[in-house]
Amino acid sequence: MDPSNKVFVLGIDGAPQTLLSEYMAEGVMPNLKKILSGGYSLHQMDASIPDVSSTSWTSFMTGVNPGEHGIYGFMELAPNTYRMTFPNYASIKAPALWDMIGGTSGAKSSTLAEKFKGRVPNDLRSIVLNMPETFPAPRLNGVLTAGFVCPDLKKGTYPDSAYEYLRSINYIMDIEASNASDKPDAFFDEALFALNKRAEAFTHFMDKERWDLFIGVVTETDRLHHFFFDAARDKAHKYHERFVFFYSRMDDMIGRVFERFMDATGGQGLFMTMSDHGFAPIRKEVYLNRLFVEKGLLTLDPAREYFEQIGQGSKAFVMDPGRIYINLEGRYPGGAVAASEKNAVANEIKTLLLDLKDSDGNAVIKRVFEAAELYSGPEAGRAPDLVAVGNDGFDIKGNIKKPEVFGTSHFRGMHTRHDAHCVLPSGAAIPERLHIENLAGIILERFI
Amino acid sequence: MDHLTALENKSIFIIREAYYRFRNIAMLWSVGKDSTTLLWLVRKAFFGEVPFPVIHIDTTYKFPEMYRFRDEYAKKWGLNLIVGRNEGQVEAGMGPGKGTKLDCCNELKTNALKRIIEKNGFKGLLLGIRRDEHGIRAKERVFSPRDENFKWDYEDQPAELWDQYKSTAAEDNHFRVHPILHMTELDIWKYIKRENIPLTELYLSKSGKRYRSIGCAPCCSPIDSNASNVDEIIAELESSHTSERAGRAQDKEDAYTMQKLRSLGYM
Repeated sequence: MDPSNKVFVLGIDGAPQTLLSEYMAEGVMPNLKKILSGGYSLHQMDASIPDVSSTSWTSFMTGVNPGEHGIYGFMELAPNTYRMTFPNYASIKAPALWDMIGGTSGAKSSTLAEKFKGRVPNDLRSIVLNMPETFPAPRLNGVLTAGFVCPDLKKGTYPDSAYEYLRSINYIMDIEASNASDKPDAFFDEALFALNKRAEAFTHFMDKERWDLFIGVVTETDRLHHFFFDAARDKAHKYHERFVFFYSRMDDMIGRVFERFMDATGGQGLFMTMSDHGFAPIRKEVYLNRLFVEKGLLTLDPAREYFEQIGQGSKAFVMDPGRIYINLEGRYPGGAVAASEKNAVANEIKTLLLDLKDSDGNAVIKRVFEAAELYSGPEAGRAPDLVAVGNDGFDIKGNIKKPEVFGTSHFRGMHTRHDAHCVLPSGAAIPERLHIENLAGIILERFI
Repeated sequence: MDHLTALENKSIFIIREAYYRFRNIAMLWSVGKDSTTLLWLVRKAFFGEVPFPVIHIDTTYKFPEMYRFRDEYAKKWGLNLIVGRNEGQVEAGMGPGKGTKLDCCNELKTNALKRIIEKNGFKGLLLGIRRDEHGIRAKERVFSPRDENFKWDYEDQPAELWDQYKSTAAEDNHFRVHPILHMTELDIWKYIKRENIPLTELYLSKSGKRYRSIGCAPCCSPIDSNASNVDEIIAELESSHTSERAGRAQDKEDAYTMQKLRSLGYM
C-alpha cells in the first residue's frame, strides 16, 4: 500500500499535556517543540473513567467505551463471588485496531468496527509494542509484545521470532517499581535502561518489518510519576534533575522516531503521540472502603482477605480507583440490597461522597457518575454502579484494609482524567474536546 | 564416564564443597522428587550419613502421602529433621482460600523458613532446584547469596566459571547452594531409575492422572497421564512438550500480576 498512508502512534503512558507544554517552554523537549512548529498541535485529552491504564489503553485500542470493551480496571470479581480476578487481553470483548485492519476480529464486533466495516482494508500489518493490557499476545497480522501487566515475555509476544529478537537484546517488560523507595538511583537507571531498550526495539521493528500501523508505548513515564511526580516541577527536589533528564531522553526518542517515520513516508504518514491519562501531585490518599465502614455501609470479616472480607449486611464496596459496587441480592453471594432499594442506596452514597471533606475542609470528590452516564453496550451490565472521581490531589483508593479514611504513602503522583495529551497534525478533523476513545476512529479514517 | 555419573559427580562435588566451606548448613527437603534426589546425593556424598539438619517447611497443606513418606524415610535414613511451621499464621487460619496465594506462600513458606534460619544461624542452605524448571531459575548460580530479606539480586551475581564458587558474603547473608541445578527433569527421572530412589506414589498415574510437580495440595493440579511407573514417566517426558510446572502456571501469573499491581499502589 501507499507508504504515505502509514500511521505511527507513540504512546507515552501518563504524560500530562500541561507538563509537556511546560517542558517545551523550558527547553527540556526541543524535539517535540520542533515537531509542533512544523505543523502539529498538542491537545489536552480526556481519559476513560476510571482513569487507569488497563481501561484507558483498551479504550484507545478499541475506540469504544468500557460498556463495549468490558475492561473496568486491573481487577474484577469473578461472577457471583467476591474473589478477585485479573482481566487481560483475553477478556476484551471489542476488536482492537489491529483486528479491524488486519482481518483478525473473529467473532468480536463493536460500534466502531461496524462503522468501518468494508471501508478499511483487512490485510494491513500492525506492530504493537509494550501496549498495556495486551497479555497474552493475540495472533495478529503483525507483531505484538505485551505491556503491563505481562507476567511472561514468551506468552506475551507474537510471533516467536519477535520473542527471540527481544530476548537477544535483553529487552525488559517492566521495571522494578519496588526499588523506587529504597533504591531510587537504581530505579531511575532502570527506567532509562528500559527506555533505551524500547527505542532499540521500536527502530528494529520499524526497519525490519513490513507494517502499516505502528504503536509503540513507553510506560516508564507512568512509573516515574507514581513515585516522583513531586520532582517534576520542584527544582529543589533531590530527584528533579534525574526526572527532567528522563524527559529529555524521552524527547530524544520522540525526535528520532518522528524523523525515521517521516523519511520512510516522504513526510506524508500520520504521526501522533498520546497518553492514556494525566498526572497530578497527591495531597492525600482516600480510602473509600474505610469511609463506608465508618458510615455503616460496609462490614468486614478480618479473618478473610481482600474482597472476601465483605460481611453480612454490607450495602456497597469500592474497587480501585473509585469504582463503587452496590452489594445487590442475586449479584453477590452476600448481596444485601434488593433491586428496589438500589437507587436509594446509590443516592445515599452520592450525598455522602459529595459532602466528604478533608481535615482542612477541602472537597474531596469532584463528581460521582452513575453507570448509565458513562457506559453503554453489551458489557455495561458488569459496570460499577457508581464511579467517584476525585479532585486533583485526592487519590481515590479501593484498599480495604486501611484504618483511616485519609492517609499518605510513598506515592507522589495520581492519575487524572482530564490532562492526558495527544499530538496530531494541525487542522486534523477532531472534536473540540478530544477523548481517548476518538483516536481509533481518527486512525481508521487514514486507512480508508 | 556416562552422562548420569558425570552429573552425579558434579552434584557430590558441590555438596562437599558447601559443607567444607560453611559447616553450619542444612538442606531443604520438600519431599518432592528433586529434593529427594538431592537427599540421596547427600547420603552418597557422606557415605550413607547426612551430617547436617534436613528442613521440611510444613505449610500443613501438603498431601497426606507426603507426610507419610517424610516420616518413614526420616526414620529409615536417620535424619536430623527440622519441621518448620509458621504456627501463628497456621492458627490464624492462613491458607490458599484466605487472601492471595502469594500471601499464603509468603507466610507459610518464606516466613517459616526465615525463622528457622534466624534461630539456627545457618550459613548455607542446600536446595534441589533445577535450571530448566522455570525461566527465572535459569539465571541462578550454584552458590547464590541472599540478603537478610531473602532478596536475590540476580543482576549482580558472580560469574562461576571453571567451578570457582564465590562463598563469602556480608554478615547477614546466607548462601543458597544448588547441587542439582545442572540436571533436567528427564535427568532426574533417569537417575531415580538408575539408583532406585524411593518416591511418593503421587508421581505415578492413578485413573489417568498423575502429578508431575508436587507442593501444597490445594495449589497443584495433576496432569493427564497413564505413566504408572518410572519407565513410563521417562517415555512420556521424552515425547512431551508441555512445561513441568504447567499445573501451577496460572497461579504464578496471578501472583506476578498482583505483586506488580501492589507495587503501583493498587489493591
